[in-house]
Amino acid sequence: MSLSGRDGDLVVSTARLDRIVEHEATDLTCIVEPGVRLSSLDDALAAHGQRLALDPPGDPTIGECIAEGLSGPLRHRYGAVRDLILGVTVVLADGTIASSGGKVVKNVAGYDLAKLFCGSRGTLGLVVRAAFRLHPRPETTSAFAIPAARPAAVRPLLAELASSKLVPGALDLLWPGALLGLLEGSPRVVEAQAAEALRFEGAEICGRDVWDASRERQRQAAGVMAFAPSELGDILRSEAPTLVRPSLGIAYLDRPYETSASAGLRDLHARLRQEFDPEGVLVA
Amino acid sequence: MTTVAREELRDAAIEELGSAAVVSELEQLRTYDCDGLTGRRVVPALVVLASSAQDVQAAVRLCNRFDIPFVARGAGTGLSGGALPVEDGVVISLQRMNRILDVDLEGERVVVEPGVTNLAVTQAVAAEGYYYAPDPSSQQVCTIGGNVAENSGGAHCLKYGFTVNHVTGLDVVLPSGELVQLGGASVHTDGPDLLGAFIGSEGTMGIATRITLRILRRPESVRTLLAGFESVDGAGLAVSEVIAAGVLASAMEIMDRLTLEAAEAAVSAGYPLVEGLLLIELDGTREQVEEDTDRVIAIFEQVGATEVRVAESDAERSLFWRGRKAAFAAVGRVSPDYYVQDGVVPRGELTAVLRRIGQLAEEHGLRVGNVFHAGDGNLHPLVLYDASVPGELEKAGRLAEEILVACVDAGGSLTGEHGIGTDKACSMPLMFSEDDLATMTRLRRAFDPAGRANPGKVFPTPRLCGEVPGPYRMHPLEKAGVAERL
Repeated sequence: MSLSGRDGDLVVSTARLDRIVEHEATDLTCIVEPGVRLSSLDDALAAHGQRLALDPPGDPTIGECIAEGLSGPLRHRYGAVRDLILGVTVVLADGTIASSGGKVVKNVAGYDLAKLFCGSRGTLGLVVRAAFRLHPRPETTSAFAIPAARPAAVRPLLAELASSKLVPGALDLLWPGALLGLLEGSPRVVEAQAAEALRFEGAEICGRDVWDASRERQRQAAGVMAFAPSELGDILRSEAPTLVRPSLGIAYLDRPYETSASAGLRDLHARLRQEFDPEGVLVA
Repeated sequence: MTTVAREELRDAAIEELGSAAVVSELEQLRTYDCDGLTGRRVVPALVVLASSAQDVQAAVRLCNRFDIPFVARGAGTGLSGGALPVEDGVVISLQRMNRILDVDLEGERVVVEPGVTNLAVTQAVAAEGYYYAPDPSSQQVCTIGGNVAENSGGAHCLKYGFTVNHVTGLDVVLPSGELVQLGGASVHTDGPDLLGAFIGSEGTMGIATRITLRILRRPESVRTLLAGFESVDGAGLAVSEVIAAGVLASAMEIMDRLTLEAAEAAVSAGYPLVEGLLLIELDGTREQVEEDTDRVIAIFEQVGATEVRVAESDAERSLFWRGRKAAFAAVGRVSPDYYVQDGVVPRGELTAVLRRIGQLAEEHGLRVGNVFHAGDGNLHPLVLYDASVPGELEKAGRLAEEILVACVDAGGSLTGEHGIGTDKACSMPLMFSEDDLATMTRLRRAFDPAGRANPGKVFPTPRLCGEVPGPYRMHPLEKAGVAERL
């Protein structure tokens, strides 16, 4: 994470908070500290045939994933960090330590501060521990690419995909160029899905490096734009995105893109900061 | 509130909203005095029947002017007293706001008003092969607004997640009367996840007036199986093994002998009369379901299932489910009164906690039936008692509380889906420290500095926690067989 502090600011590093506190394999849950990198968590979980279904570009720490609300191609099926997080322990600006949620997969007791802290960029406090829901690791993975270069052809293609038997684990539009789909499961399931994909005109089966290309575009994007999935055609025509997640309504652009929050929302954010950090100790 | 003040409030409401939107006669107000937690009743000062976001804003502003609280209400099927009125407060009913505003199949989004029922969303898109995933068992009557307030789940949330995973945007009338948009049709948001924080806040942060939902394509194939075991533990072990094998079932439900017999007597589902019955549903592509079916059958045989049945038709599939869904109400046949507990445990602790519940039941000399969402560790112990026996109600209350303690001690939660509401506000300290609760309160103050939105819910208050709940009474919808307590 980039540090934007000024001279004289105190930097609190969570790099040494790097333990996997608990992995309940039978419950498909884990508790980790914020300094754990996704790659090392993935290694530990792989030994049990499990994974955290979160694949943002690079190899961020869990703390970064939460603070920035990160996600990658897998968001299509598994959601973002806010959909996988089960609970947090946070330290507030005044030193208060507080927990919310828990480590069980189903829980509606009290407010969900874990979700609140997703995307909060350190403005509300510091996450020192987080619990996550895990998923079984797929036995086999494959991918398909279908050519997609004209805006007018994308909607019919997506409609055809929706009415097919394909159930991709991720769906990325590299623009202009190709619609990528991730296939996961047992060899038999993946094979059947691949055959289904090949019925599309120009479709090819590709290796896992196509996802590196997609995640690289995400990493290099200078701006992120939210759009209504039904407006995809317009976005492709007028915004020239480099990568689009059509089901999610997210377009990555090679230029900065400022979203202007409404006055009401800005007010709400300000009141939240006022409540969590009235002295303004935390540097955003 | 004095009679004069009450009349003043009524007149102001009629002036703002029109007389057709205002309920003020005592007899009519009584209709709103409770939700699905029928043991607690409070008659509100006034009920406003909102037809639009503007009506909601007007009602909320009226409450600000009179400095009184408000409680949002949908169908009133909640089981934790989340929609219990506040004395001298206004109930804002959202049932008239029942329009589906937009169906966008291509974008896989549906936009609704809060009074639309859960099932109506699926019905609106079913013909095109889509559905809305969260399926609380009250889905025929419960509203999407209520689902948002409670972050509702259902039997299939094991695979597909809860309301919070399926709502992409909300228009919210804040307790100030201001309208803000959280999220939209896209899942991308900037800054803290206020949408995620709002969903499940039980009406204490404002009122959602427009809700954007994500819909899913129906899976190609669905298969439902029953497996009988010589003990509930055996069924629990089967669940653990299915999870360990990496099979992602869409639902896994367990019933013990007591609830099984009651359900069988009620709906004749043709269940085998065993000590532990597991109902499992698998969905996905045809190949996936075939493969998963083979794997779970092998697991069932390995862990000693006495019988395995695969539903051969849609009719048989719904019969399997009908018994499960009727189980709660059916227990009324074997006990004059019962209390439905809702706790969660880590799935690895299922058998240990079930044994503990058995011990506790024995110690208190009461029967406990178990019918629950085993796949996600969500227990629904049914504490059976007879309110006409002096002291038994209190005993049942203590037993239900001790079961919750056992869940929390095992690393679980006070509630998996019914919510805290008024029912469990006093139990919050079992799970959360004072600092935890104070930190949650900071979030609440950011939304509702004056504490006008649904006060007395979620958080323990000295006034509330001195009270003792009354005996359980069946909700009218439950009595009519329209809704069950799941």
